[in-house]
Amino acid sequence: MTNFDAAVSAEDLTKRYGSGDALVTALDAVTVAFGRGELTAIMGPSGSGKSTLMHCLAGLDTPTAGRVWLDGSRHGDAGRVELSGLRDDALTALRRDRMGFVFQAFNLLPTLTAWENITLPLDLAGRRPDQSFADTVIDAVGLRNRLHHRPAQLSGGQQQRVACARALISRPDVVFADEPTGALDSRAGAEVLGFLRRSVDELAQTVVMVTHDPVAASYADRVLFLADGKIVDELREPSADRVLDRIRSLESAARGTRTVGVGA
Amino acid sequence: MLRAMLRDLRAHLGRVAMTLAAIVLGVAFVVATWVVSDSAAATVSSGSYRTDLAAVVESRPKTTTDREIPVEVVARLAALPGVTRAEGVREGYAALIGTSGKIGTTSFAETAGTDWDDSQRFALTSGRGPQRTGEIALEAQAAAEAGLTVGDPARVLLGGDRSDTATVVGVFTYRATGWEFDPAVAFDADTATRLLRDRDLPPTAVTGFARIELSGADERAVVAAATAALGAGFRVESGSDLREKQAENARSDGDVIRKALLAFAAVALLAGVFVIANTFTMLVTQRTRQFALLRAVGARRAQVRRAVLTEAVVLGLVGSTLGVAMGVGLGLLAMRLLPVVGEVAYVVSPWAVLLGYAVGVIVTIVAAYGSARRAARVSPMAALRTDATVPRRSLVLRTVVGLLAIGAGAAMVAVTSPEDLTEPKRILAMAGAVLAWFGVLLTAPILVSAVLAPLTRLLRKPRPVTRIALRNAVRDPRRTAATSSALMIGLSLVCAFSTVGQTLSTETTAQISSAVPENAVVLRAAAFGTLDDTAGAAARAVPEVTALAAPRSGGVEVVAANGRSSDTEFTSLDPAAVGSAIRPRITSGGSDLRRGVMLAQRVGTELGVKTGDQVRLRFPVEGDSPATVEVPVTVVGLHEGSDLLRGQLVDDALVPSGVYRYGDSMYAVGADASVLRGALERAFASRPDVLVQDREQLLDDLLEPYQLVLGLVYVLLGAAVVIAVFGVVNTLALSVLERTRELGVFRALGASRALVRQTVRRESVVISLYGGVLGIGVGVLLGGVMQYVILANPVFGMSVPWLTAGVALLGMGLVGVLAALWPARRAARADILAAIATE
Ligand SMILES: Nc1ncnc2c1ncn2[C@@H]1O[C@H](COP(=O)(O)OP(=O)(O)O)[C@@H](O)[C@H]1O
Ligand SMILES: [Mg+2]
Repeated sequence: MTNFDAAVSAEDLTKRYGSGDALVTALDAVTVAFGRGELTAIMGPSGSGKSTLMHCLAGLDTPTAGRVWLDGSRHGDAGRVELSGLRDDALTALRRDRMGFVFQAFNLLPTLTAWENITLPLDLAGRRPDQSFADTVIDAVGLRNRLHHRPAQLSGGQQQRVACARALISRPDVVFADEPTGALDSRAGAEVLGFLRRSVDELAQTVVMVTHDPVAASYADRVLFLADGKIVDELREPSADRVLDRIRSLESAARGTRTVGVGA
Repeated sequence: MLRAMLRDLRAHLGRVAMTLAAIVLGVAFVVATWVVSDSAAATVSSGSYRTDLAAVVESRPKTTTDREIPVEVVARLAALPGVTRAEGVREGYAALIGTSGKIGTTSFAETAGTDWDDSQRFALTSGRGPQRTGEIALEAQAAAEAGLTVGDPARVLLGGDRSDTATVVGVFTYRATGWEFDPAVAFDADTATRLLRDRDLPPTAVTGFARIELSGADERAVVAAATAALGAGFRVESGSDLREKQAENARSDGDVIRKALLAFAAVALLAGVFVIANTFTMLVTQRTRQFALLRAVGARRAQVRRAVLTEAVVLGLVGSTLGVAMGVGLGLLAMRLLPVVGEVAYVVSPWAVLLGYAVGVIVTIVAAYGSARRAARVSPMAALRTDATVPRRSLVLRTVVGLLAIGAGAAMVAVTSPEDLTEPKRILAMAGAVLAWFGVLLTAPILVSAVLAPLTRLLRKPRPVTRIALRNAVRDPRRTAATSSALMIGLSLVCAFSTVGQTLSTETTAQISSAVPENAVVLRAAAFGTLDDTAGAAARAVPEVTALAAPRSGGVEVVAANGRSSDTEFTSLDPAAVGSAIRPRITSGGSDLRRGVMLAQRVGTELGVKTGDQVRLRFPVEGDSPATVEVPVTVVGLHEGSDLLRGQLVDDALVPSGVYRYGDSMYAVGADASVLRGALERAFASRPDVLVQDREQLLDDLLEPYQLVLGLVYVLLGAAVVIAVFGVVNTLALSVLERTRELGVFRALGASRALVRQTVRRESVVISLYGGVLGIGVGVLLGGVMQYVILANPVFGMSVPWLTAGVALLGMGLVGVLAALWPARRAARADILAAIATE
């Protein structure tokens, strides 16, 4: 692993479920770092541990072993935090102030308007949104005239864009996106991906995105390939074709015939 | 199909348990009510039938005062063939003097003294019967009130203004016959002959028996013999007639209790219906996808509907069984806790059980019917959507019906007027109020959106917790409405009764305050008795008294010059005291009774008589032959009648002798109130039957019965509120279950557990407070109509019970917090990962 400026890093991250015969090792001593200002995609067959890795990185799940650091240069030296051992309230505050999330679906609180959903993390922290930054984000996702709509009145793509705006509004150290386009058609998906890309290019945002779609992965600066809870390969400057090639070769290297890209 | 449903129910045991609990509570209250009324009726009549009575002889009095049977009649009756025993029973004034030096109130003092005998009249619970002078036996309740047991010395106030000290040797319960009151004190026969007499009979007067009890094997022969021997001056009733009369009384007493209790049970049940229906609706809503799947694989609508109804029947049966068991337990427990002295009968009739089942099953089916129809309408396509909802009927019809009911109800009240409030109009107005009340229940969902939704906008910058809580509360207006309506039902009735009570007590307070000067000393007959002439003389003899009003009332006919007349009342008093010791509320003219009479405004209006007119007062005079005496008099003024100064006010000196009048209060004023009070207390220290009080104490005594009744009403309505509180818990818990996913997202985005708890708690408080505000508002209005119907005051002339309203509102806030305890904890435990996982 090259020694670059990492926003999130993990060392020997292991997660096991169950015990005895039913023991599943979802993550097997994963050591990884995600570069600041980069869009990193995590790919791998269904059940390879992508979601588990993301949940452990985000402090949503507790690893069986290993450590995770969140390193926010925006917060100075004090910005480097180790997640393991933090209590629930501290983790919650960390998620609220320093991470952003985009899930596959059901990202929004149905009773709040788009605007209220976007500013929710700030509201929870008792902070007021920086109006000019908020304007930038809202214009970037193109939701200016939808701000007072409830989620039920928005299309799936619009809902995902609201979720993206919300993830960015607090200028987090890292945005985690788990299959953000999984439930969208290709056009809406492209909009969301384009938006994430621009947040990296224009706002220097760090984004970690789980996906099974080679096209989605091609928006990334770097693609990590996960199989059986291990990082098995990595690709920089990917194109959809190169990603697909790499998947094919990994597939043939692996024994058995697992299909990539079914389910999350 | 059914198996799938049942398995599904088993998978949601928590939700099922909540529905069940609502049914159980509702049924339990109804069954408990039935058990209590059955048991109470049985207790009233149980074991108190005497089997030793063939007949009872009483005199047929010519006048109300002379009704005693001469002693020698007993010997004549005893000698009759078939009569095995003739026992004269004495009755006389007797009252136990408590530690305060004044008499108690448990028994009717005029007949509370009797002579002990070994008939079935007495059943000793401890000690023995009195055998000689200086010994007495006490009735259990009277003994309890005076705090006396066997061995204690007791002071007894007797007729002819004597008191006697004796040792309590026994405590008994009494088996009354016919209309007889329970006595409080029993003396041995000789002492009773010496001491017992009417209140105002001098100690030297010869007394007789109140009745004579006859025993004998052949009841009919005894009655026939006694009737033949005694003639027209006596009434002879057979023992079986008396027993029948008594059983009839017990039955009707039991019925009165039952009806009152069932009215409250009905209220609790109505709250229960809302809770059950609401819970059911949620239970169905949450299984939308399951119904859709069933439909997709080929279930017909009727099948889905039937499945849901079957589920309701099963739940209704199980809930009823538990409810009946709990109700029987509660009812029996209540009978145990009731302050009944002596044997308590516990009765669980099959009717109680049947009613419990009927109520539980029918209510559940009715509540579930709407849900079943909606479940059947779920489209099979809904199985494919993750955000599928059960189709709901629009609120338009319900709202229109509700508004119509409110309008019609208000109109029914509005067409009546306080000036002309006849019985049918009272009923019309009350029915209107009830109709409007139901109207509010129907419009509740619209009200929720209309009231709560703008609240979010009113709060300029609501914290996210408050915002989300408010939004969640209005999210499903029906659900919130049903939940808060259940609260409203009990609470509005509490507030309505409270408003009536408050109005009554405000009126009483105003009446007393305007009639009695603040520094007056009030002399009152204790134990609902009357004040005699000696009490008046004793008060007048106290030098500190500068004016004494001793109003005494009786019947009089007022005849106007135009020939119209009115049968009414008069109150006579010392003219010097009018305006100083007591103040009539003058509506016109003056109040100098030396120059004439003050008519009650109502009578003046009725007869068309004004100040300065002449009227004749026709007084009935008591005596062997009824007669009247007419007194011509000038009307000096008119006044607003009150309970203190009833009817026409006249000078004491104007009332002809022999006219019956009685008073129970006197009002004295002097230079210094506390000196005056001290002097009067000393003067009446030897009069246990006269209380010396100030105006405040008088008011307290007058208002106490209202407070007691209200207290009881509140307790009974409490059941409805408890059920409704349970409904709040239900709604919240099911809502939390429904929102697992968004709670997870909320947590993932950085809401701490405490924040999640707070959100649920706020929502709960909002729902409860909304129910509270609605209940209090509607209740006060309902109370306004009730006091209008009872008192013919203007509808909006009611006094608002601010204290009750405040306590109720605070209570609802507290209910909100408490109801949220468990659901909030559940919500805070929401598993983030499970929530955000996409199945
Ligand atoms: N809560 C859990 N309990 C047991 N096994 C789990 C749990 N969550 C995930 N797993 C297992 O861990 C492995 C990795 O899962 P996941 O990270 O969800 O894979 P991916 O997101 O790559 O499809 C899978 O084999 C899955 O079955
Ligand atoms: Mg996954």
